[in-house]
Amino acid sequence: MSTDARAVAEPLLGFADSLPAAAADTAAPASMLHLLTFTLDREEFGIPVTQVREVIRVDGITRVPQVPAHVRGVTNLRGRILAVVEIRTRLGLTPAVVTPSSRIVVVELVGRALGLLVDRVSQVTKVPVDSVAPPPEEVVTAETDFLTGVARWNSRLIMLLDLDKVLLLNA
Amino acid sequence: MTAGENPFGDLLQDYIVECLPLAEQVGDAFVELERSWQSGEPGDDLLTTVKGRLHTIKGNSAMMGIAPARDIAHALEDACGFLGRSPDACTADAAALLIAGGGLLVELVGGASPELDPASATAFVERVRAYLTAAPGAATAGSDRRQTERRGPRSDEGEAAGNTVRIDFRRLDAMLEVLGEGLIQHSSLVELYRRLLRKVGAGVELEELDQTVLSLQKTLTRLESTLMEARLLPVSTVLGRFPRLVRDVAHAEGKKVRLEVSGGETALDKAVLDRLGEPLLHLVSNAVAHGLEHPEERTRAGKPAEGHIRLRAASVSGRVIIRVSDDGRGLDEEAIRAKAESLGLDVRNVDIAQLHNLVFVSGLSTAERVTTLSGRGLGLDVAANVIHALGGTIEVESRKGQGTAFTLSLPVTLAIVRSLIVEVDRERYAVPLSHVAETVRAEPEAIRQINNQGVTQWRGDLIHVADAGAVLGTPESSRGLRPFYVVMTAGAKRRGLLVDRLIGHQDIVVKGLDPALGRPTVVSGTTILGDGRVACILDVVRILDGVAHVN
Repeated sequence: MSTDARAVAEPLLGFADSLPAAAADTAAPASMLHLLTFTLDREEFGIPVTQVREVIRVDGITRVPQVPAHVRGVTNLRGRILAVVEIRTRLGLTPAVVTPSSRIVVVELVGRALGLLVDRVSQVTKVPVDSVAPPPEEVVTAETDFLTGVARWNSRLIMLLDLDKVLLLNA
Repeated sequence: MTAGENPFGDLLQDYIVECLPLAEQVGDAFVELERSWQSGEPGDDLLTTVKGRLHTIKGNSAMMGIAPARDIAHALEDACGFLGRSPDACTADAAALLIAGGGLLVELVGGASPELDPASATAFVERVRAYLTAAPGAATAGSDRRQTERRGPRSDEGEAAGNTVRIDFRRLDAMLEVLGEGLIQHSSLVELYRRLLRKVGAGVELEELDQTVLSLQKTLTRLESTLMEARLLPVSTVLGRFPRLVRDVAHAEGKKVRLEVSGGETALDKAVLDRLGEPLLHLVSNAVAHGLEHPEERTRAGKPAEGHIRLRAASVSGRVIIRVSDDGRGLDEEAIRAKAESLGLDVRNVDIAQLHNLVFVSGLSTAERVTTLSGRGLGLDVAANVIHALGGTIEVESRKGQGTAFTLSLPVTLAIVRSLIVEVDRERYAVPLSHVAETVRAEPEAIRQINNQGVTQWRGDLIHVADAGAVLGTPESSRGLRPFYVVMTAGAKRRGLLVDRLIGHQDIVVKGLDPALGRPTVVSGTTILGDGRVACILDVVRILDGVAHVN
């Protein structure tokens, strides 16, 4: 359990530090994407770190009656109310079961904060832009609609989520 | 100095804040003056007060380079001076001229900008000049002396300016936010204290901790009431607009109306007050345009030709009650019935009170025609929605031939609400205490099922008792009888809500609903409880309206 927690915490602690470094890096290999990656079931997803505000532990999500589908509820983010999106069902997966490794990724979308409930946050990863291919067309699942592309890098397969589309909740 | 060269852009707002209320008071005073002249009183005191205010407006307008407002204030000041000296000239024409000028002044001051078109002001000043030279005893009515008078801003008579600061309302909101955090932290302390007490048992230090937490609560409560007081404004800031409005609508409708306003000193949170203006405006202009009959009709019915509208505000046990009543013809029950039936509603078995309250249903306004002021698209249903959104209720009573009364009940503030915290299927919810009549232990034999709805005796009446799990659509709703029910009230409506646990009373800080949550009808907002968890606040009014059912 504790090693598990450290495995999650360390890349996150390095996350803030990596931001200015990332900016400096861009000068040399101008074509690296900085991604925060997380897993849903066994698949790895990535979103640009620039859209991520922070990652928090799940400490009670309150159900709200009559909300749109895919909204899990609300949680307390240091005194502010944060709406939490059930991104799994949005992508056609079963609803999340909250475990100790579950996290809420707080993203910023048109100036507003929203939480994404994910199974596990992996790390902040840099991948070369040219490792990204368009979403495979032969795979037709609910989720391909929500991808901007797929990155193959160091024997990993990272699906790049189109947050704007995923979080357009009323669509 | 011309308007186009106004160098005081930033001061314009200050000018409006100071002068608009003065201009409105002037307008109201002229309406009052007309009334006293009609009843044969000279109204000298009014003229004197008005002159002082006009002088201030004139000075400040000159200072700001807003020539049209300056000229009108000047002309009106001259006219008032003249009328004070010449009682014979106090005619209906003079009153109409003053009232027109007052209205124009409010418009000019309220919409003050350097680009203001001075044409209407010039035309009005000409009218006053013409009037002053043509009126009986006009020889002494020159304005030359006043024109040489020193111009400059002068504060209104003896205001205790030294102890007052203007503050942006958003700062008060920010303070409230901080206070809210303090209240949450206090609740956490209480929670921690209880856990500690269970863990280590009583002791001197714990006793002291308990006392400290208690005094912290008192301090926070004092801070809360001080802050809430700072947010309060007298209702008169809204009601004050109505004398002129009523006069205008009455004039346009060819009606005679006496407006009586009382309780203007009743205080309400500015956030509530700001949103109250429009529904009230609608109710009042509606009363003049549709509630009151024409003078001939009234005389035929044996009533005084002059209709009477009363606007009363009062504080009643933590809420503000505002009542708009008229002595007009009353609601047209047949028209409501016909309209309701045409909309497919079954109104055969509704009683008169229920029938009357159908006027708040969308599409059921019975106005025969659309007038410029009352028919501006805001129906009674919209007015009722605004009141409900404020956590208030609106009800109507009416008697044929005797009049109609709308009663609004509003919370004093929206920001902090004393609530009952309940638990339903392991989630906690807040029920505003102003809507809680009683909490009752649910005895299975006392609740009967009639038409699939629980019904029980409560204080001698039969009331419905609904399962909170069903109302809130909880996923794991247990079908058994929950051990308690909360009797919720809104206006005359009552219903029991069955819950699992009663947690206690707490001052909660209301937080809004994120737009991502859509527009739930059973909850009106959220709050953070002492343990840091979020709880939904039940929208009692809408739950009782029955529109708010999940399944």
